[in-house]
Amino acid sequence: MNRFYIGEIFKHLSIIVLILLTLYPFFFLLISSVKSHEEFTHNFLGLPQLIRWANYTAAWKAVRQYIYNSLIMSSLTVVMVVFLSSYVGYIFARYKFPGREFLFYAIISLLMIPGALTLIPTFIIVKNLGLLNTRWACILPWTSGGQIFAIFVIHSFMSSLPEELFEAARVDGAGIFQIYVKIAVPLSYPTLVTIAIMHFVGTWNDIIWPLVTITKPELRPVTVGIMAFNSAYYQNYGPLFAGYILASVPLIILFIFTMRFYIQGLLSGAIKM
Amino acid sequence: MKRSSLLNSVYKNKFIYLSLVPTFALLLTFNYYPAINALYHSLFEWDGIGYEKFIGIKNFVNLFKDPVFIIALRNVSILAISGVIISITFPLLAAELTFNLRNLKMQYLYRTMFVVPMVVPGIVVLLLWGFIYRPDGLLNNFLTILGLGSLTRPWLGDFNTALFALIFIGFPWIGSFNYLIYLAGLQSINKELFESSIIDGATRLQQIFYIDIPMILGQIKLILILTIIGVMQGYTTQVVLTQGGPGYSTMVPGMYMYNSAFLYYRMGYGCAIGTFLFGVILFLTIVSRRYIQAPIEFGGTK
Repeated sequence: MNRFYIGEIFKHLSIIVLILLTLYPFFFLLISSVKSHEEFTHNFLGLPQLIRWANYTAAWKAVRQYIYNSLIMSSLTVVMVVFLSSYVGYIFARYKFPGREFLFYAIISLLMIPGALTLIPTFIIVKNLGLLNTRWACILPWTSGGQIFAIFVIHSFMSSLPEELFEAARVDGAGIFQIYVKIAVPLSYPTLVTIAIMHFVGTWNDIIWPLVTITKPELRPVTVGIMAFNSAYYQNYGPLFAGYILASVPLIILFIFTMRFYIQGLLSGAIKM
Repeated sequence: MKRSSLLNSVYKNKFIYLSLVPTFALLLTFNYYPAINALYHSLFEWDGIGYEKFIGIKNFVNLFKDPVFIIALRNVSILAISGVIISITFPLLAAELTFNLRNLKMQYLYRTMFVVPMVVPGIVVLLLWGFIYRPDGLLNNFLTILGLGSLTRPWLGDFNTALFALIFIGFPWIGSFNYLIYLAGLQSINKELFESSIIDGATRLQQIFYIDIPMILGQIKLILILTIIGVMQGYTTQVVLTQGGPGYSTMVPGMYMYNSAFLYYRMGYGCAIGTFLFGVILFLTIVSRRYIQAPIEFGGTK
């Protein structure tokens, strides 16, 4: 019995050490974001003696435009990806037409193409289309690339639905688009939400593509903007860390509402090889 | 006769084809065309504006004579090997520890704590580690407090430590995704396996090596291949923190491609590096498909 308790205590202690090490940098970030410059230098590791909210006001002025840009770019991408991929995935899953197999595999085979291969030519195309330094420079390629995996996921989900549901609607005289709106979308709602979250987070975190296509400061998304902010506020620690936190807030809010969902998805063994 | 029936059937489905147009228009512009264009231009000297000259495989020959590219290959190999070792040990260890707790409430609490970092955007994590490594950063301050002031240095600015510093990012490396995948694998193991092994007198350690690990081999291989592929083509960390420097000490092929294209305007050379990376990743994917599939599904999840 004694050995059992020692074993359990050892496990708890090991986990707690790992958790502390994992979370400490974020904790440091949090407490440093409300310290004044003097306190940061003289009380580097300790808890703040005085909460300095002015750091957040200063940081907010600098990063709010970036957050606004990211919100627009990511949201538009998500809406377009979800609409296009759900509609196309539905058509490939539920309708037979000449060339269906070929066209479907033509889409899916793009999953094998890494971003490193297409970076340079895509940049040239975006440039030649005159899209550099517009939000579309990110939105269109993100949508195009994002729909590939989304179509794959939605196709396999819609293929698994019983044919009777669709047959009944067809007998009642519903058209392709009507069936999509009335049956396909409501049934695949959880899948669509997962895809939406995935692409919102993915585009929010993209660094390299906006870095090469958007150089105008007022159009920068959070990733690129916060890098510029990082150089500008290099020694201005309080606002610097407050800015890091503000840049994380939208994703934190999104995760608060959807984390359970995401964890459940992974834990239910949806991903396996 | 047959031909007209095909045309007929195409005509009948015209609405379907029409609704595929936006998707394919986007894919043709931003995916197919760039992919083919990259392969094509890997055989050219190209500045991306007007000048282009066919030079055959000379880009690839030059690539393997280019000392910077050789260093980049060496660095990416070091990053890939350490990435693999890290991703199949630390998150698995954390998952094993959590999985083995008796107290389910604590198990849930710990799981949540390990997943918390997931809400922080990647760029913030990178910049935060950038701060940790700064001359006036967290790591040097800790070393000074511990009386190890002689070890302090600009970790990312020092030739000898920059690559190691990049590897160390995220310590203790319990990535939320990997952790959850392992935990899911452990939870799906049939409980009867544990019970019958206890009757046979197995210790928990024996169970880990003879039951846990063989049963989650699928997850381990998944993480392994995702890690290798991710590291091979990744250079975001370098773009944010080091630009491949100091010198070329953290240079990787992706970063070199980026620099070739956007710093030196050698777009053809950049495309050749992109083509090389594509080849490597395609090879890894095919090998992993071949090799990974067979032995996993035995035992099942139910």
